[in-house]
Formats: sequence, C-alpha cells, structure tokens
Amino acid sequence: MKVKVNKTLAASIVLHVLVFGWALISFPTRALPVLEEETVAVDVISADQLSHVMAGTKTGDKKNPKPVVEKVADAKPVDDAVGKITEKAPVVTDTSPPPQPKPVEKPVEKKPDPPKPVAEAKPKEEPKPVEKKPETTDPIAEALKKEEKKPPPKPQVEAAKPPPQPPKPKERTFDQTKIAALLDKRDPSRQAVTGDTINSNAALGTSKGSAADNSATWGAMFQRQVERCWKKPFGGIESQNQEAAFTIRLKRDGTLEAAPIPEGTPATPYLRVYSESALRAIIECQPYNLPAAYFDEWKFFTPVFTERKS
Amino acid sequence: MTDKDPSLQIPFRLSRRQLVSGMASLGAIAGIPVRLAYAQKRIPIPEGDFVPLPIAIPNFVAGTPSDGEVGAGVTQVITNNLKRSGLFAPIDQAAYLEKVVNIDVVPQFNNWKSINAQALVTGRMTRQADGRLKAEFRLWDIATGQPLAGQQYFTQPENWRRIAHIISDQIYERLTGEKAYFDSRVVFVDETGAKERRVKRLALMDQDGANVRYLTRGSDLVLTPRFSPSTQEITYMEFGQGDPRVNLLNIETGQREIVGNFPGMTFSPRFSPDGQRVIMSLQQGGNSNLFVMDLRSKSTTRLTDTPAIDTSPSYAPDGARICFESDRGGKPQIYVMPATGGQAQRISFGEGTYSTPVWSPRGDYIAFTKQGGGQFSIGIIKPDGSGERILTSGFHNEGPTFAPNGRVLMFFRDPGGSGGPSLFTVDISGRFEQRVATPGFASDPAWSPLLS
Repeated sequence: MKVKVNKTLAASIVLHVLVFGWALISFPTRALPVLEEETVAVDVISADQLSHVMAGTKTGDKKNPKPVVEKVADAKPVDDAVGKITEKAPVVTDTSPPPQPKPVEKPVEKKPDPPKPVAEAKPKEEPKPVEKKPETTDPIAEALKKEEKKPPPKPQVEAAKPPPQPPKPKERTFDQTKIAALLDKRDPSRQAVTGDTINSNAALGTSKGSAADNSATWGAMFQRQVERCWKKPFGGIESQNQEAAFTIRLKRDGTLEAAPIPEGTPATPYLRVYSESALRAIIECQPYNLPAAYFDEWKFFTPVFTERKS
Repeated sequence: MTDKDPSLQIPFRLSRRQLVSGMASLGAIAGIPVRLAYAQKRIPIPEGDFVPLPIAIPNFVAGTPSDGEVGAGVTQVITNNLKRSGLFAPIDQAAYLEKVVNIDVVPQFNNWKSINAQALVTGRMTRQADGRLKAEFRLWDIATGQPLAGQQYFTQPENWRRIAHIISDQIYERLTGEKAYFDSRVVFVDETGAKERRVKRLALMDQDGANVRYLTRGSDLVLTPRFSPSTQEITYMEFGQGDPRVNLLNIETGQREIVGNFPGMTFSPRFSPDGQRVIMSLQQGGNSNLFVMDLRSKSTTRLTDTPAIDTSPSYAPDGARICFESDRGGKPQIYVMPATGGQAQRISFGEGTYSTPVWSPRGDYIAFTKQGGGQFSIGIIKPDGSGERILTSGFHNEGPTFAPNGRVLMFFRDPGGSGGPSLFTVDISGRFEQRVATPGFASDPAWSPLLS
C-alpha cells in the first residue's frame, strides 16, 4: 500500500514537473503577446485571425497625435535611466550618443577628470562636509546639478535611446503598459533629426497563428507601413494598370538586407518614375515592424505596387 | 491512476513511470513550433496617395562673386515653375541644414533626408571670360543616393530665364516621366481701360507670366490669337476698317500680312500642325463654313458646305483630322472630320452647348467650353466622344488651350461685374487650378509649343 501510494505520488510529481518544466522551457521562446492597435485599421481578415492579430505600434507616424502618449511613456523608463546615469548625464550630452550604453560609458572615462571625480566626490563629500576643497566643489556640484536639470529634456531623448538595452531585461514581465511605454519611446528617437536607424525591438507577435499562411496579417502591416511613405507620382487620369514589383529581403529588425531588386525594366518614362517612387518608399519606411513569429515568411517577399483595381 | 491498456501485448516491459514520462515527452515534442518552408509571397500595395514630391532647391552657387544674383534668380524661377505645376512641393530654404557650396561633390544625403526631401537640385552659374553665362545643374535622388540628371548650358546672360525654364523642364521630365512645358510662351489679348472702352492688344509672355511684351498697339480690336506649331508666327483676327480679317504676324521680324482676301468675315484661325496651312471659318450670308488656306500657294479649299454655322476648327496633332463646332444639329456641338473634308461625326452629346474645341498636342483629348444650366465650364473629351470630364465650372470660363505636354490647360475667366477677365491654368485631372498673373486683364490665351 505504501509503495502504491508512493508510486502514484511519484508519477504525479513527475508529470507535474514535466509539464511545468516544459512550460518553463517553451514559453520564453515564444514572442511577447498581443498589443492593441491604436489607429483605426481597416483590414479584411477573418474573425479568428483578428483575435490572434498582433499589432506593432505606430512607428513614428507623423500624422498621429502621438505627443500625449509619448510624454507619458517617456516618464516611466526615463526615470529608470536617469536614476542610473545621473552622474554621467552631463557627460552623455557632450558626446554624440550612440544607441548603446557601452560606448557611452567609455567616453565617460576618457572625459576630463573634473566632472567624474567631482561626481564621485559629491556623494563622498556629503557625509564629510569638512574637506579640503569644499569651496571649489560646491560650485561645481551646483553646476552639476544645474547641468543635470538643464539637459534632462536632452538626455531623456538620448537616454531613451540607450535604455532599450538595460530596461529590456528588466521588463520581461507581462506588464503590457510597460511594454507599450517601451515601444512608444522609440517614436521620439525615430522622429528625431538624425536619419540613423535605431535598434528596433524584437517585434511583437502572437505565439499562436492559427492561419496556415499569415501573410494577410504581416502583409497588411507591411502594406500600411510602406504606404505611409509612398509618394505616388501623379499619373493624372490615364495612369491605369501601372505596376511595379520588387523582391526584398528583410532582416529580423525590419531593415533591408540589400537593395530591393525590381522585377522587369520599366517600359515608359512614367513607369520608371512610378517604380522609383515605390523604391523610395521601401527604403524610407524601414525598419518595418513586423511580427517576429512570421519572420520566415516576411524575410523574403515581393511587394507589388499597383494601380490595378481588381 | 493511469492504468495502461491491459490488452497491450508488448514484448518489453514498460513500467508505468516510463510510459507516463514517455507520454509527457511526446507532449513536449508536440509543443515545439514547427518551421515550415514558405514560398516567396507577393503582397499587393494598392493604396498610395498622390502627394506632391518634396524637393529641395538650394540657391544656385555663384561661380564668380558677381553671379550670386543670377543664381538666386534662376533658383526662384525653377522653384516657381515646379510649385505651380502642382506636382512638386519645394521645401522652404530656411529649413535646409546645410549650405551647398560645391556642386561637384556628392551631397550629405542625411542632411536632406532629415528635412524629408526626396530629391535635391544643385546648380551653379558662372560668367565666362567671353561674356557667356554657363549654367550647370545636378538632380539627386535622396533615398537611393543616385544622381538622376545633370547638364550644363551656355547662353547669353540675358537669357537666364530661359535656362531656368529649360532646367525646370529637365527636372520635371525626370521626376514625373511626363514631357514638360516650362520653356514655352503664351500669347493672349491684353485688356486695359474701362469696361465700355476696353483697349485690346496682343501680348506675349513666358508661361510663368514674365517678359510681357505687346505685339499690337491697341488701335484695332484683336481676337483669338493662335501660335504656329513650328514657326515663330501668330495668326489672329483683327477688326480693322472693313470686315474682320485673319492676320499673320511674325514675332521675330514683326512682319504682318493678311491671310487671304475673302469677301465676308473670317474667324477663328488656327495653324495646321506643320505650320503650312491656316484653317478658318468664313462667313457668307447667314452661315459660316470651314476653309483651309495654304500659306505658300495661297490656294484655299472649302471643307464644309452646310447651311449651319461651322466655326472654331482645330487640327489633330497628326494633321489627319479636325474637330470643330457646328450647330447643324440645332445647338452648337463638337464634330470630328477628316482634315480634307468629308463626313463629320458628332462627338458631344451632353446637356448644353459645346464650343471652342481644341485638340491636345498629345492627341488623346479635345478640350471645349460648355455652356449649360447657367454655368460655363471647361471640359475634356476623348476624340471618340467618350470620357467627357468637366474640369472647372462657374459663372464664366472660356477658351481652353493646351500646354505643349497636353497635361495643363489655360483658359480665361470673367468674374462679371466691374472687373475683367483673367487667365487660369488647370491640370487635365481638374486639379491645381491657379491664376496666371498678367499686367492687366487678359483673355483668349494660346500656348506656344516648346521653344527648345
């Protein structure tokens, strides 16, 4: 009897361990779950696809009244970042900030000594007011404080760029608001003046796609994103049946791996201009925010820019 | 308690535990996502909006210190041309991030990308030692970093406006795929004075309104000036001492002659595409018919012989057919007929009366004035009568004329009241309607072919 109980108990324990172990192992390999789309997207997709649809957030759509969200979003992660880098904040603004925090730390070390030892001296001096250079450090400390306050709008944006790395491992929880904040924070850097592409997040995607072919979802996302940039040439009232197709390869972060390859050569000057406008649109709108779950589908495909209404 | 199927006749012994863990592993294996190989997908992108192409045109660099003014002038003319076409959106120079000083180096595309320019025009004007002016320009595609066009021109310094128009044409053609029209002129009837005693003079100007000069003195009433497609000649109607006459005027030499000597009034003259003949309507008695006169041999041919009023003829660009206005069916309508005469076919069937038809230089449309429902409209229709489309409508709109590329129409509009008529342009899609500035009131425009 005892043995029997032990056996069932053992079997039960083993089963439980296996199930939990499997869950532990397999869940993190899946991408983060669904976010709600903010704009009114009109897409013809089936109802159950709708329930599985992930939506990337808007990536810097200028027409979108984003500022409100941005400010809220900025507040959260910047708090973390500023808390981390306060002492180096004035130094950060001096250097042109690369998106990674590591190179930022290097110039910190190279920077002239006064800010750093003062920064270090600051906390040291607080407990020990009696020091050899209180007069000199005080104004410097005040200057430091002033500098910290002065460029907080700047390091907020610039600190917004480095922290994709540090806060990301922190926020690997299922807290959707924080994820939204993380994503939204990309927008100010996107709208920033430089044309550098930033590290995009691993795109959000659903873990389950019940459709056999998910091109309706990521295709619609790609179409929306590239249409924002597409400045179609004016064909007047005769431009029917124009079509320009390209073969493109995308990397995981949504940027182009190589220049898009046009299909065929344009037959007329107008078709050439049409094709060039589509090419510009593809180049300008990268990086594309597409679901990582379907990367194998969208890493190599053919967008077809067309006037044919059929 | 998972009891296994007792009928399971297996040769090896499977303990409960082994079975259970085996099933669990199977479950774990089943949970591993399956990677399929996908074929390359075609994604249609059907919705793009036409947006005027954002283009950056910094001031042309001065090759020598004294060329700054002509550089700025050329840039201004180019920017105006492109903007008025409606297809481009030149970016304000105040927004530029860098000043172009050397056009021979590859630009810093990031600086232009960040102000959202899609194309960049750089240029330089240099006064040469022999007194000529050298103009160079380059057109860059910002997204791909490729040069799209580049040219250099030599000309007399006073022709700087024409160079600017020629450069605008190059930019327009490369970026829209259409033939351009900036290097052309417009002849029109300039009207000044009180409404009851208007002084009407023939005037000639660049298509952007610059360089206005008067061709007649205004002592006689002038109407319907028309350009020759191949020579520097204008034909027009003049109300002199006797009957109104069709005249021919050479712009360069100023030489004038009367076209033919007909009994009766001659109206609405137009050149044939080869510039060798003038077609016009001749009024005899109560009706008017179409006649063609060869300018060299002075021989005339009658084209129509009906008791109706046939007037306002216009040649197709291949010279094989003509369109004209006739009221043989009751009200004025548009008819198409072979250029040598023959059976005329009516093509306009809408509500109202149709007049002043003019065939597009591209041959694909005929523009007309339509009157109906208390409104005057300008519209276009295909030569077979299909695809009628009204471009603008109002109290008064009349007298369309096509730009050399067949895309833009100019017409005149009289707002009524104490004012006077003005010239307007509109694209054949009905968009980009805008006024053309003239020194006084203006009517009856006619667009020249491209000068270059």
